[in-house]
Amino acid sequence: MVEQRADGDEQAFVAVRDACKVYDDGPRHVTALHHVDLEVPRGRFVSVIGPSGCGKSTLLRLVAGLEEPDSGEVRICGRTPAHAAERKMVGFVPQTPALLPWLDVLGNVRVLEKVNRAARRRGPEPSRAAPERCDLAGDPVALLRRLGLGEVLHRRPGQLSGGMQQRTAIARAFALQPQVLLMDEPFSALDEFTREAAQLQLLDVWQELRTTVVFVTHSITEAVLLSDTVVVMAAGPGRVAGTVDVLLDRPRRSGLLDSAALHEHEHRVRELLSSAWHAGAGAGR
Amino acid sequence: MSLQPRAPRPRPAAARARTWAAALHPRVWSPTLVALAVAAAVWSWVARRSPYVLPAPGSVVEQLAGDPGLYLVNAWATLSEALLGLAAGAAAAFAVAVAVSESVLLRRAVMPLAVVLNVTPVVAIAPALVVAFGFGILPKVVVAALTTFFPVLMNTATGLRSVPREVLQVFRTVHASRWDVLVRLRFPSALPFVFAALRVVFPLSLVGAIVAEFSAAGATAGLGTIIKVAAANSQLDRVFASIGCLALMGALLLLVVTTVERRVLSWHSSQAR
Ligand SMILES: Nc1ncnc2c1ncn2[C@@H]1O[C@H](COP(=O)(O)OP(=O)(O)OP(=O)(O)O)[C@@H](O)[C@H]1O
Ligand SMILES: [Mg+2]
Repeated sequence: MVEQRADGDEQAFVAVRDACKVYDDGPRHVTALHHVDLEVPRGRFVSVIGPSGCGKSTLLRLVAGLEEPDSGEVRICGRTPAHAAERKMVGFVPQTPALLPWLDVLGNVRVLEKVNRAARRRGPEPSRAAPERCDLAGDPVALLRRLGLGEVLHRRPGQLSGGMQQRTAIARAFALQPQVLLMDEPFSALDEFTREAAQLQLLDVWQELRTTVVFVTHSITEAVLLSDTVVVMAAGPGRVAGTVDVLLDRPRRSGLLDSAALHEHEHRVRELLSSAWHAGAGAGR
Repeated sequence: MSLQPRAPRPRPAAARARTWAAALHPRVWSPTLVALAVAAAVWSWVARRSPYVLPAPGSVVEQLAGDPGLYLVNAWATLSEALLGLAAGAAAAFAVAVAVSESVLLRRAVMPLAVVLNVTPVVAIAPALVVAFGFGILPKVVVAALTTFFPVLMNTATGLRSVPREVLQVFRTVHASRWDVLVRLRFPSALPFVFAALRVVFPLSLVGAIVAEFSAAGATAGLGTIIKVAAANSQLDRVFASIGCLALMGALLLLVVTTVERRVLSWHSSQAR
């Protein structure tokens, strides 16, 4: 039954249904997520955007299986996050690069290969063997070259710029050949120029691998540029305020950043954000 | 996309040669030399004025040159006690640190005992150990091990816990086993802490060995015995010849640790130059 759902899950490859999460913060209770629903179809790039503290990272941690929801459920390809982790179906890119300083770039990208080797034996992976994925997917070096790290394969993280470190972290996640890639503001610490370059390199790799992505960001432009759907969240308590489908052609290139179509989408996201903000201010504060 | 050449390894031979050349530059060694000369001058001056405070440097050198065999044999005795103690103490501390970092239960059971052990002065324990283990090498090794144990335990335990949360999260999302986390994350993360402890403890183990020798003076070999007996007979040149040997041994031990550390921790910021 599980397998059947795994095949017929075009509707919701990643599904969060009615999830609530409350933190005990000393005497206060902080409602990080309040009845949140999220559905991500396979092969889509979905961004989650919202003000600081609205529960974006919490949502991502639930999907990654790092935390459990208090109520509601999370499914990845019909499986619980714990099962998905056992099968190495999830790639996670945290807000800091989280590289191992004693390994070089290539070593960092390969280290996850070496842990939980049993994952490959734990059952068939429906989409892992898709034919068009071959050249980048199985080859960390090719992946790193495509992300502009071909020159620094044997450097340690301490010898890299922030942008290079963050791209290494992304390569590490892609190298797992995950079913779902979760990224928590991977570019937020980069300056504007470095960030744009990193975004375009990510788009380039994604264009080829078409991994299902949930991408948390603070930047409206980044959300629109990268994704198929932008999920707008509101704070206090954290909830989904609405979604914007991004109808821009792929592959997307840097020229798009100045286009009217992009600005039009940015405008719609911004409107959603601000109306959610005012609704929240009227109701809660 | 063309095949790019491998980036060079961090420290090729040329760079090493340059480092050596830099180390030989007068700017590097001349301040040390001047300080040594000043110290020697002050020493001779004091020695001439009050020979019961400091022996003349010349007489110390004579003493060493007159019977090098005596000092070599006894230095070796002390050094081997210290090294055996180091090995035993550090190994035990490492094992306990791993156990304690993996199990809260063990942490609660063991850590208070370790702290009590640490606050008890080794000088006070040493005579009891001599009574318990006799005049052989064993009590010295035990005291040296005791001086080593606690710093290594505390630092290693801290180091094993120093893996950043986000790195642990990445490993959890691929369902890494505890063993993988221990070996691939915790051990390497602990290394800088372990070396920081070793830098303290390598010279300190000599102190442990000497203290134990004092407690059984006369009955055993070792520089501690020589010092104790010579001091009782007011043979200051002998005392200082032994002290000189100890200082040299301590410096050598420290050199060994820092050299190994430089190799092993080349990735760590503490080794940046
Ligand atoms: N471990 C925790 N303990 C207590 N409260 C927490 C914890 N984690 C998150 N919170 C609270 O939950 C809310 C949502 O946090 P979360 O980190 O998910 O927000 P975010 O949208 O990712 O914010 P940012 O954009 O600043 O990263 C915040 O109010 C935060 O204070
Ligand atoms: Mg966050």
